[in-house]
Amino acid sequence: MSWPTSPEWLLDLQARFSGLLRTPLDRSTTSLRADTSAYDPALVDAAQPSSTLSSAERLAVYHRQYWFRLFTVLQGLYPLTTRLLGYWRLNGFAAHHLVERPPRGFDIDAIGDDFAMSLAEQLPENGTVVTDSGLRVEAAAVLDAAHVDAAFHRVTRAPRSEPLRPGPADAARFNDSCLRLSAGVALVQERWPLAELRMSFVERQGDGQISLPERWPTPRHWLLARHASKLGLLALEPREAELLGLLQLLPLEQALGRLEAAASPAERESLPERAQAWLARSVRLGVWAGFAKVQK
Amino acid sequence: MKTLTLQALAARPPLRHNIGDMPRTLARDALGLGLRTRHYRELGEPWPELDYFEIISENFLSEAEGPRYHLDRVRERYPIVLHGVGLNLLGPEPPSTDYLDRVAALAELVDAPFVTDHLCWTGSHGLSHHDLLPVPYVPELVELAAARARHVQQHLGRPFGLENLSSYVEFVASTMTEWDFYAQVVERAGCGFMLDINNIYVSSQNHRFSPADYLARIDLSRVLQVHIAGHTREPNGTIIDTHDHPVADAVWQLYGNAFRQQPFPTLLEWDDHIPPLAEAVAELRRAEVVRV
Repeated sequence: MSWPTSPEWLLDLQARFSGLLRTPLDRSTTSLRADTSAYDPALVDAAQPSSTLSSAERLAVYHRQYWFRLFTVLQGLYPLTTRLLGYWRLNGFAAHHLVERPPRGFDIDAIGDDFAMSLAEQLPENGTVVTDSGLRVEAAAVLDAAHVDAAFHRVTRAPRSEPLRPGPADAARFNDSCLRLSAGVALVQERWPLAELRMSFVERQGDGQISLPERWPTPRHWLLARHASKLGLLALEPREAELLGLLQLLPLEQALGRLEAAASPAERESLPERAQAWLARSVRLGVWAGFAKVQK
Repeated sequence: MKTLTLQALAARPPLRHNIGDMPRTLARDALGLGLRTRHYRELGEPWPELDYFEIISENFLSEAEGPRYHLDRVRERYPIVLHGVGLNLLGPEPPSTDYLDRVAALAELVDAPFVTDHLCWTGSHGLSHHDLLPVPYVPELVELAAARARHVQQHLGRPFGLENLSSYVEFVASTMTEWDFYAQVVERAGCGFMLDINNIYVSSQNHRFSPADYLARIDLSRVLQVHIAGHTREPNGTIIDTHDHPVADAVWQLYGNAFRQQPFPTLLEWDDHIPPLAEAVAELRRAEVVRV
């Protein structure tokens, strides 16, 4: 059975309606507003006014709904970033993101897939951002928050997968292959204490703006992992995080060599034993999905 | 293709939960709740006294493990029906075969008695607007919508129901009433009504028509399910279908009048400011009082 095609007049009406919906709301005042004066006259003429509302005002209901629905979804997916920036600032970045990458497909949560990347394009490289409460926060901290939110988003949406449980027969593969991270796992690096804060939002999201906690003296590393419907965070030693990163790029022996070369003489003595323990723990925790070809 | 008619569906014995290997279907007086993420942490012993749950199809079409984990827990205990928001029946492009296959597979997984979606468009030119958008009500689109709904029902291989919208705009080009348009599409498609009585009320207030006239045009024997929900009146008088309040008295009254003519499964939708599960179930159970 075929799918009958729409008449031309309907296609034209829908193209105009779609264009209206995707026009960003006006931010020139202190609230988001549908600027009905800029609406497509042909679409306004096609709509019927009511006894209390003009045609344009009736279309504006849909216009506002489109944007507020998408803002609400992004705020839910990026709660740390939202509460750091405040809703108004977040919505500004979100509007730009959604104009550049309007939603496609059935999954509304997919609008969060590239948002951290979009923020990176929009934020000043070494500057600061003024939040809704008038504070200045480093753009790098906002981006760290977005990356933490993005990791939670990615891990939450990951499909179920069987973890790699290597046996003796896999020994040779460690010599010529790197490892592929499980979809339900993310390695998170933070310069500010954000990951645990983000984890606290899983159970109790809240909606008040937060202040940026004090920066760590050195970056910290976490393993974020999902089991069934639960998320867990595990602190990683810096060298452990480095090893897990190297194993995604290099065969085991080369990864260990690279790790050793970066270690101080004091670290080197205990490194083989510790590396063995980290590797065993990563396998036990289901960090790896399988082997992958090394990229030249 | 196997033939599944509303009559065949109705002829099956009514079943409650713990139904084992029996085919899943719903009693005509069944009471169900729309399953939302907010409910997940509350679900467990004692399981709520409900006849079934409805899920939003799109929330379970991906391979994400989290939603599937909760779905598995629920489907062990309750019949589940599917309600879609992304079919885009009146959109410019046909739905992808992948989308329809995923919906069909999900329906198969939960052994859904029926699948429903909306008589509207939700996106155009490759973009998704994630809203339920109206069209002008004209005979030309009756044929179009009916043919497409037939296609969907055939692809799914189980009863398919179309839901009426709540809407905030009408078009100058319309030459039919909404209820005539809706009824004709469903009748010509040979599918079912997924009748939302709150939507009828919302649109009747926004467009100044009689909700009783609307209901009088609906063949209640073809109703797969009725939705009830709360709404919000904006300062400018427009009523928005927000699903964030208890059901309004006027909607309960319409519901009771319709149910007394002919019973149908009843589903409460609550999507924002969602109360504790027990409170939502208590709101749903008001139906038993209202419809006597």
